[in-house]
Amino acid sequence: MKFKSLLFTAVALALAAGAHAKSIELLNVSYDPTRELYVDFNKAFAAHWKAKTGDNVVVKQSHGGSGKQARGVIDGLPADVVTLALAADVDALAAVARLIPPDWQKRLPDNSAPYTSTIVFLVRKGNPKGIKDWDDLVKLGVAVITPNPKTSGGARWNYLAAWEYAKRKLGSDDAAKEFIAKLFKNVPVLDSGARGSTTTFVQRGIGDVSISWENEAFLAIKEFGADKFEIVVPSISILAEPTVSVVDKVVRKKGTAEVAKAYLDYLYTDEGQEIAARNYYRPRNQAIAAKYTANFAQLKLFTIDEAFGGWAKAQKTHFADGGTFDQIYAK
Amino acid sequence: MRNKSFRQFAPALTALLALTPVIQADELTQLRDQLHALEQKLLVLERKQEIKDEAAAAAAPATPKVTISDKGYTLASADGANSIKLRGLVQLDSRLFLNDGNVLANNSFILRRARIISEGTFAQNFSFQVVPEFGGGSPAIVDANLNWTVTPALQFKFGRFKSPVGLELLQSDSWTFFDERSIVTNLVPNRDLGVLVSGDVLGGKLNYTAGIVGGGADGAQTTNSDFDNEKDLVGRLWASPFKDDAGSFTQGLSFGVSGTYGREKTAAGRTGGYRTDGQQTFYSYLATTSTDGPNWRVSPQLDYRTGSFGLLSEYVVSAVNVRTSAAGKLTELQNKAWQLAAGYVLTGENSSYAGVVPANNFDLSKGTWGAFELAARYAKLKVDDAAFPLYASPAASAGEATSFGVGLNWYLSKTVRFTFDYYQTKFGAAPGAPAALTNAVIRQDEKSVITRFQISF
Repeated sequence: MKFKSLLFTAVALALAAGAHAKSIELLNVSYDPTRELYVDFNKAFAAHWKAKTGDNVVVKQSHGGSGKQARGVIDGLPADVVTLALAADVDALAAVARLIPPDWQKRLPDNSAPYTSTIVFLVRKGNPKGIKDWDDLVKLGVAVITPNPKTSGGARWNYLAAWEYAKRKLGSDDAAKEFIAKLFKNVPVLDSGARGSTTTFVQRGIGDVSISWENEAFLAIKEFGADKFEIVVPSISILAEPTVSVVDKVVRKKGTAEVAKAYLDYLYTDEGQEIAARNYYRPRNQAIAAKYTANFAQLKLFTIDEAFGGWAKAQKTHFADGGTFDQIYAK
Repeated sequence: MRNKSFRQFAPALTALLALTPVIQADELTQLRDQLHALEQKLLVLERKQEIKDEAAAAAAPATPKVTISDKGYTLASADGANSIKLRGLVQLDSRLFLNDGNVLANNSFILRRARIISEGTFAQNFSFQVVPEFGGGSPAIVDANLNWTVTPALQFKFGRFKSPVGLELLQSDSWTFFDERSIVTNLVPNRDLGVLVSGDVLGGKLNYTAGIVGGGADGAQTTNSDFDNEKDLVGRLWASPFKDDAGSFTQGLSFGVSGTYGREKTAAGRTGGYRTDGQQTFYSYLATTSTDGPNWRVSPQLDYRTGSFGLLSEYVVSAVNVRTSAAGKLTELQNKAWQLAAGYVLTGENSSYAGVVPANNFDLSKGTWGAFELAARYAKLKVDDAAFPLYASPAASAGEATSFGVGLNWYLSKTVRFTFDYYQTKFGAAPGAPAALTNAVIRQDEKSVITRFQISF
């Protein structure tokens, strides 16, 4: 009898312990300009997860240049999920550290890019240097702000957008290379990430034009005033597709695989897409995109696959050690 | 003429005057542009420095830390989870024996210990220690163990380590009151191989240790492989119940008890000899004696520190079953020993189980002399009378040793110590001892002066 009572108590205690809400902590390692997006999104997801499971989830954020952030994860930063600026940086987690499988991009819709953006120009109010298109960035006396493509995902999008524009206009890769060399001669400061470049241009007052993520440009105007800056949309730009992935090796170790997957899945829900749109990212969901269509300029966009044969090739040609950027910048 | 001349120049002058504002405006614009360009250059320089500073600040937490101090040389990862530490211990002794009839060639210099100690931590909870010994006789591994800290209350140690029995033996070689441990240490096992579980509980007021080890003879160290199939259980409880009572008289009082229990199986040669403070053998078993059957030890012990005063005391009973042949009679021998040692730091620094830290290092230019400590000790070891004459020779072994010692320790710094000790040991004859003893060591009292120069970090 005594044994049965003890057993009953033990089982009851075990059940009570099991019924107790768990506290889960995730780390989202992301690129520079997504701070505000994920502050909003994390709140929404925590509420969603609490309602669904009763568990409390706290998502910690880490931001920096996308390449630098990928290096951090490879070196041991325990990210449950990465939400980086481009697929090449997520690829590195598979290729260098085998933290994720090589086919990671197939695990989520739209090649694991739940939202997109593009590259535009942010200029000072009144556009004193008359910046209209990519050509204007290589003119003598125009100071251009863009981050370092070696560490920043945004900078790589900037670089490739300019390259493709020049190639189409001037007709060859050689001419495009010369164009990019001229452009970088006009860059007085190379920040390590997009947010740093925004600080350089907006807060430190350096430069005539900042090549910027569309969402970052909108945010600068929202925060610092439409009376100080304006956006110039070039004739052509690149469809920037920031990508996301669960970091398999980390979530297995931490036991957070289920919630990490749910976190990324939630980016594709209506709520997730709305939050992305509200933060000036172009949503994949067409209905929500239509709702926010006034926010986004209509321009000709090309993809990385069309212009450069995918990120792997573009990375190797332009940004790997000894690639075109090194050749240009070493001069 | 004058008017004509004016008329000639008037249009040019008018044009010049008309242009003046334009020239001034152009200059102003140029100046503005130059100023803007200069301002931009200045801003760029400032921003570049800012980026550099940010990068340096971001890199700092990832930079490994190198620490060089009187505790050794440490290389640690930025988060402290992984580290490797290099320490060292060198002891040079001089031994002088007085009134020993010049029958012994025992006055000598000796490199008592010369150790390069490697310690490290991995993944925060795993640490290791490897201690090779180059002093004394041939090189040997003293300690080599891995410690796994699950929590402070639950730790595992695997490898070769000090057996957790003798109080003075557990104290670091560098910081005992005297340069040689007392004769009590003869009765406790030294290093052993095995597994220990230990931890601090009750807010650190109680430390427990329990383990299973290969088992060693009195005062002996096992080699790097276990001797036989038999194992010893070892354990120790150590309480510091008043450690949090700041300022109280009892704060520095710690006490406990340790013990071993095991079995030996016809283990010939496993009986260690007993040595004096001067490290001369005054008791040894006959070569025909082997241990067989259970052995056990019990050791109550106490340590007390208050200000400059320190006191250490322990008592040991060591029981061993011996026989002279496989069919010979089995006899349990109980050897006993105890000691009381005390020290007082004359220069006012605190006495400590972990050594004295001088308030000021020795430095003639500053007129500082380091710290000085006086120490005194009384100890006694009694061999079971039943050991004689079957298991030990009364002509070659004493039945009892009583020793006292006085010493002066000079701490030139935390790492450097000079000691000057005088020991005197009186031997009690074994039952049935002949008038003519064969062991020259025990024919008279041992009077020895041992000095040591030591560096330990």
